[in-house]
Amino acid sequence: MTQSVSNPLALIAEVTHRCPLHCVYCSNPMQLAETRSELSTEEWISVFQQSGKLGMLHAHFTGGEPLARADLTELIAAARAASLYTNLITSGIGLNEQRLKALVDAGLDHIQISFQDSQEDAANWIAGAKAHAHKIELSRVIRSHKIAFTVNLVVHRQNLDHLEEMIAFIEQLHPERVEIAHTQYYGWALANRAALMPTRAQLDKAVATIAAAEQRLAGKIRIDSVVPDYYAKYPKACMGGWGRRLMLVNPAGKVLPCHAAEVLPGLSFENVREKTLDWIWQESDSFRRFRGEEWMQEPCRTCDRRTEDFGGCRCQAFLLAGDATATDPACSLAPKHHLVEVAVHKANGTSAVHQPTTSSSFAQVQKLNADLWQYRTNPE
Amino acid sequence: MAPPTDASQPRLAAGCRWGQSTKAGGEETRVILFPEGAIKLQGTGKLVLEHCDGQRTFAEIITELQKEFGKTDPEKIRADISLFLEQLQKKRIVDY
Repeated sequence: MTQSVSNPLALIAEVTHRCPLHCVYCSNPMQLAETRSELSTEEWISVFQQSGKLGMLHAHFTGGEPLARADLTELIAAARAASLYTNLITSGIGLNEQRLKALVDAGLDHIQISFQDSQEDAANWIAGAKAHAHKIELSRVIRSHKIAFTVNLVVHRQNLDHLEEMIAFIEQLHPERVEIAHTQYYGWALANRAALMPTRAQLDKAVATIAAAEQRLAGKIRIDSVVPDYYAKYPKACMGGWGRRLMLVNPAGKVLPCHAAEVLPGLSFENVREKTLDWIWQESDSFRRFRGEEWMQEPCRTCDRRTEDFGGCRCQAFLLAGDATATDPACSLAPKHHLVEVAVHKANGTSAVHQPTTSSSFAQVQKLNADLWQYRTNPE
Repeated sequence: MAPPTDASQPRLAAGCRWGQSTKAGGEETRVILFPEGAIKLQGTGKLVLEHCDGQRTFAEIITELQKEFGKTDPEKIRADISLFLEQLQKKRIVDY
């Protein structure tokens, strides 16, 4: 069967799995790539050049902590030289004024600072001026450069009650964007799900808080947020659909359609050390496996939403339902939706609710310009 | 925030810039790249943003585009462009 495939839009460059943090919600695989197997500078440069030629527009540098790579400046420069928009997703730990300037000079377009609370409990997060002093200072330095600045906030049961204070704190850092990402349950987060899943009441309050903040900050800070999929009516279009928009290259050069894909049994993934990105995108079994609709089961196969959410997340289908071709159990129409309902019930004794909101303002520009597209880089 | 005024000087926001999107077959489209997305631009939208160089004022841009689209009601052109820029400003893609 020949599939007509459009080109990928973005590269997720997971340049290292090394990280100074140990977040309980880490979405990285539990088996991390070792330092000695990491791609060399030259190998990464080739990846960026191939990505540019393939028509990709963005390179998202993530990890682990990308700053752990001593050659990060060189890698950013290579990505920019390959016509890619460069985005650095970092905790900011280990980033000083001098290194940031070098990254900006190399062509960094966008920096995304994530706030973790792995070492502080939620109350400390709010009170923790000391813990955040570095980020406040870093934000000041970021604002002295002409790059885009996003603050990423990972929220969950333990910190969601403090959302209003968190947003107020982040406001002082003057980013253009705040991304409020609910923990999603892969890797460590799945193992820690019971401790991380918010209650319905927490979620309702958070939705109201976000709506108020969006209105108050309109034109200053854009807020992107997504309802956690266990509470949504329909599943997320994970990664914009399997093998449809994104390619992820892991620290050891393995090329994946998404962060978590290695949990899926019976799939093997190609390596940039052996195959070109073009071949992997067009020809590899792994990228073709869940493209199109041939693989779908009912109710997806005949569902009107199949071209919007592509049946949800394949990894979640496998992790929860034990079958990677099943409808994502997060979907209210899924035969195994009860698995999600049970988890939600345990979290608060109520059943799953309809999706209360999606990020509001985006729809308006989309009406004006149907060619606008956006994706999320991390399933977190 | 409010819509642009006559004296506003619209420009791409920090970290947003022009780029090329190449489709299979080599066809190129101009796009605005921004964090985690892009806008493919053709026609009017492209023309408007090409005028948003941070130098021209909103009033100047409107005058130029009203000439360009002479057959359309000038007030409608002004209203449409104002709304377009305001929405992009909310997305933090344009500043003015």
